Order: sequence, then structure tokens, then C-alpha cells
Amino acid sequence: MTEEALFAFEGDAIRVTLDLRVYRLTAIKKAAYRVADRCTAMLQSPSEHELPVLFTFKAGASKESAITSVRAFYQELLDQELREEVAEETGPMRALILAHAFSKTDLIRRE
Amino acid sequence: MTLQAPFKPREQFRPSPIYRLAPFRFGRFDERRYVATNDVGEYVILEREELVALCRRRLTPTSPLYRALKVRHFLFDEDSDCALDLLALKYRTRAERVAAFTGLHIFVVTLRCDHSCHYCQVSRQTEDRAAFDMTPAHADRALDLVFRSPSPQIKIEFQGGEPLLNFALIRHIVHRAEAINAHHRKDLRFVIATNLSRLTDEMLKFCKDHDIYFSTSLDGPEELHNTHRPLRGGNSYAATLEGIRRVREQLGPHHVSALMTTTPRSLGQIEAILEEYVRHGFHSAFLRSLSPYGFAVRTSLVRKYDVADWLDFYRRGLAYILDLNRRGYPFREEYTAIVLQKMFSPQGASYVDLQSPAGIGIAAIIYNYDGGVYASDEGRMLAEMGDFAFRLGHLDTDSYETMMTSDALLGPLEDSLLESSPMCSDCPYLPFCGADPVFHRATQGDAVGHKAFSAFCKKQTGVVHHILALLEDNPEARSILMSWV
Repeated sequence: MTEEALFAFEGDAIRVTLDLRVYRLTAIKKAAYRVADRCTAMLQSPSEHELPVLFTFKAGASKESAITSVRAFYQELLDQELREEVAEETGPMRALILAHAFSKTDLIRRE
Repeated sequence: MTLQAPFKPREQFRPSPIYRLAPFRFGRFDERRYVATNDVGEYVILEREELVALCRRRLTPTSPLYRALKVRHFLFDEDSDCALDLLALKYRTRAERVAAFTGLHIFVVTLRCDHSCHYCQVSRQTEDRAAFDMTPAHADRALDLVFRSPSPQIKIEFQGGEPLLNFALIRHIVHRAEAINAHHRKDLRFVIATNLSRLTDEMLKFCKDHDIYFSTSLDGPEELHNTHRPLRGGNSYAATLEGIRRVREQLGPHHVSALMTTTPRSLGQIEAILEEYVRHGFHSAFLRSLSPYGFAVRTSLVRKYDVADWLDFYRRGLAYILDLNRRGYPFREEYTAIVLQKMFSPQGASYVDLQSPAGIGIAAIIYNYDGGVYASDEGRMLAEMGDFAFRLGHLDTDSYETMMTSDALLGPLEDSLLESSPMCSDCPYLPFCGADPVFHRATQGDAVGHKAFSAFCKKQTGVVHHILALLEDNPEARSILMSWV
């Protein structure tokens, strides 16, 4: 199947459906933010496990460049999902390291 | 009596198969590799499969990658007794600068200037308008604020316009600062940012007596320099070189440094620009891009090239500089050296434009010619364009406490912290970058800015990526770059 067939074109826009059991909403939002210079991702109301996303592109963008942008979004989404995993596991430790780093200074006001 | 064994048994040294992840960030480095960094500036380049294996705890404890990640605090296991202490210590060391507070104090002693540079960012005024000079009363009031800073190092930088046009005030400030410092005993230094055209023997003698440094502009070969920096009734290039020669002769070779500004005209001439620096005995250059303030905006100069053009210019310049070093002429590029400091020095780098929290106010502060106090040099440049967002107050009416706790300072400081900015918070280059709220205010209208559209972000990630690529893939370049740290 060609890439073009994988993405549903609606005029100049591309509609995809993301499975929320695979990708966290936070990761989807962060990936959308990161590719904002290439396309605008409009997140729509989710159904139980599915989130429809409509991508629009700059005026005059070719079909090929539109597909490249959506592909970049998917690649970014994988990275963001992995980042969420790492952050979930290491978040408390980051807070602990920072607290430990400044524990012997007089910068922390003790109530 | 039982003798204690002098060494632990062999099994004590067997790597543990169980490990935990320490906090880190990662991002794509090239087609097949990723770069991962942590909060203390350690980095590792690895394949995506290795990254996934790290996150899913599938790394073999005996593998070189496992050891590299462990040594750099990306993971820790049962053997890592002091990993947390070490990480905390390294983090605290990098953050010490924030607590030290404002070290750079810029006095705009006049806005008058004898040059009419096309890219001037400070909207200079003609020479004969004394209304654009700072008064001694404002200078004294500013000095009171300078010594309120807890920083043990204080650098007073004189800027303009052309500061030598108000040398009487420089003299006054130096004398008074030294007198106040007799009590405070701080490490007090002075630097004059000048085009050197008005340098007299009397000024040189004063600067020698007070160990004052000079920073000047040399934009390249004569034609390029003079096109950029027209001097009414004179030759800026000749005046600058003559000034450099006299400062070196009177104060020593290290008392004058030079930097250049890149215009569209410079882009094709990087080799000639650097040759000019070598010909005049310099061992460093600072490849600066244009800033979106002042005449650079009014003349639309800033829109005539983009970040990709400047990055190409920078990469060619760095290649030329590395080649100079290979041929036995020690030379360094200052912006690269700053990024390398951030990568490899325990304290990071003191360069105010690459700090998080941003350096505005808390690393550098500006006392303008009219008594206005600004959070950064670019903040006063923005004010000359009618945007007073970074004006902290006025020397006549506002106290140190009022200004240092003003919304104009605390607002952008809090908002632009990289660790909580969208895109920056998970960017692997965060430890080598900084927040630039003034740039983003000037270009996007708010202090944080959307980094997907940010020229600052593109420039900084482009520079860091190039340096990392050289460090990783070019051993000869690596050994030269490491000598700059």
C-alpha cells in the first residue's frame, strides 16, 4: 500500500485516526506542537479509544510535502511516547536530585 | 583474632543486571542516531535500538554502552552508591551562578556616536547632542546599585554609542567604583566596548593605570569593514587597527579583543574575514549573527539572510579555524568555546545570553544614558524601538528592591525558564542552550516564543548539533575543540 493510500486526504487536508491505547494524549499534543512550523494539527473530540486529527498545510504545499509532514509527526510521536515513559519513571527522581542539590544551601525557605 | 580480607570477593564486582533510569532527555541526532543528555550536561550518542533497549532495561551490564551510560549518570544500579550525591553535587555546581547574581553591569555613558553602522542595534545619535550623555548623578546612583549585587565578581562594561565620546564620565565611574570597592573588596574589572577611533594617549594612560580592557569591532577586510561601519570624515578600518596596535603596545596584547557582525555582505567572505584576524595577530574571533533590534530592523538588514545562511557561514568559518589550528596557528571561535564550556566545564559558561533562568537582570543589568534601568542590553535596544517591556525602572525614582522584584523582570524570568518551556523542556540540547526572552519578545511578541518558529532555537540547535558531530565523528577536530575548554 502506498503512503498516499494510508492517509485520507480531505481536500488539501489529511485526516488520521490515532489509537489512544497506543499513544498518550500528552505525547500527541507535544508532537503536534513540535511540527507546528510544517503543519497545523487539529485534534478533534475523541471517541472511546480513537482520536481523529486533521492536518492542514501552508497554502500551496504539495501532496508530497504534506505526506512528509504527517510522516514527521508520526516519527515525533514515537519519540514523544518514549519520552513520556522516561519522564514517568524518572520524574520523582529529578525532583529528589534538585531538592538534594540545594538541601545544604540557604536558598530554601524553611517554614 | 580474625584477619579481615584485604579485598572484597570477586562476586562483589559482578555488574548487577538490574538498573534504574536516571532523568534524561533525548532527540534525533541524524538519520540513525539519537543524542541523549542529562541535567548536568553529560551526553551520549546512540542508535535508536540502543535507546529503546536502555529505556526497556534490556542493556547488558557488561556492554561498553552500559558502562558509558552509567559513568555519565543516565542509569544507576546496585553498585552506584554515590550516584545521587554526585548528580546533586554536579547540578548544584552548575546552578551556583544563579545564586551569585548580577556580575555584569553595563553603563551606557552616551548614545552619541561618530559611526553610522547599518546594523547598529542601539539607535545611536549624532555626536553633538549632549542630551544623550549619562549624567554623573545617574552614574553615582547606578554604582550604588552595582554594589548591592552579592556577586563576588563585578564587571563594569562601558557602552554607547561610542563611550570614548564621554570619557570624563568613564573616568569618574572608575574612580568612584574603585573607592567603593575598597570596602567591598570584590573582583572588580572594567571593559570599554569601543570603535577606538577617539582613543587618545591620555585615555590609554588612564586605562593602563586602572587595568581597563577594550572590546572592539573588526568586521573583516578594509572594504567590508568600512562598508559596514562608515566613519564620518574618516576610515574606520584604519582607525580601529591603529587603536588595536596602540592598546597592545601600551597595555599588552591581551587587553584588546575583537568581534564581528555578520551581514549579507559577509556571508561569502568568511575565509577573508578570518585571514584578517590572523594577519593582525588575533587568536580568536566571535562569529555573531545580526540581532533583530535598532537600525538592523529599520534598514531591513536583519531579514536579508536567514538562520540557514548564518549556519552555513558559521560551519565554513569553524572548518577554516580548525584548519588554522592544524597548521599550527592557535585560534578559537568564541561562540563555539562558550558552548564547549557549557558541555564540559563543571560550572557551565558565564555567557549571559545562554542561561536558564535567562541572564536578564540576574546575570547582567543595564544603566541607560537617561537613567532608565533595563534587564538586558537587548532590552534597552527594544526600548529604543518603543517597546519598554524590559525596563525595570529609573535611577531617580525606583529602588534596587523595586526593580529586582518588578514584574518586568520576574515575569519573563519565570515564563522563559527552559525547564518548563514547551519544546525546550524535552530538548536534548537544553543543558547547552539558554532562554532569550528579549529575542522572542522582539520576534514573536512574547517572552517564551513558539520554538518551532524560533530563529534563536534553529541557530542554537544548529550550532550545538554541529559541534557534537565534530566531537563524535572527527577525532582531530575533537582534540582541537577540547583544547578550547
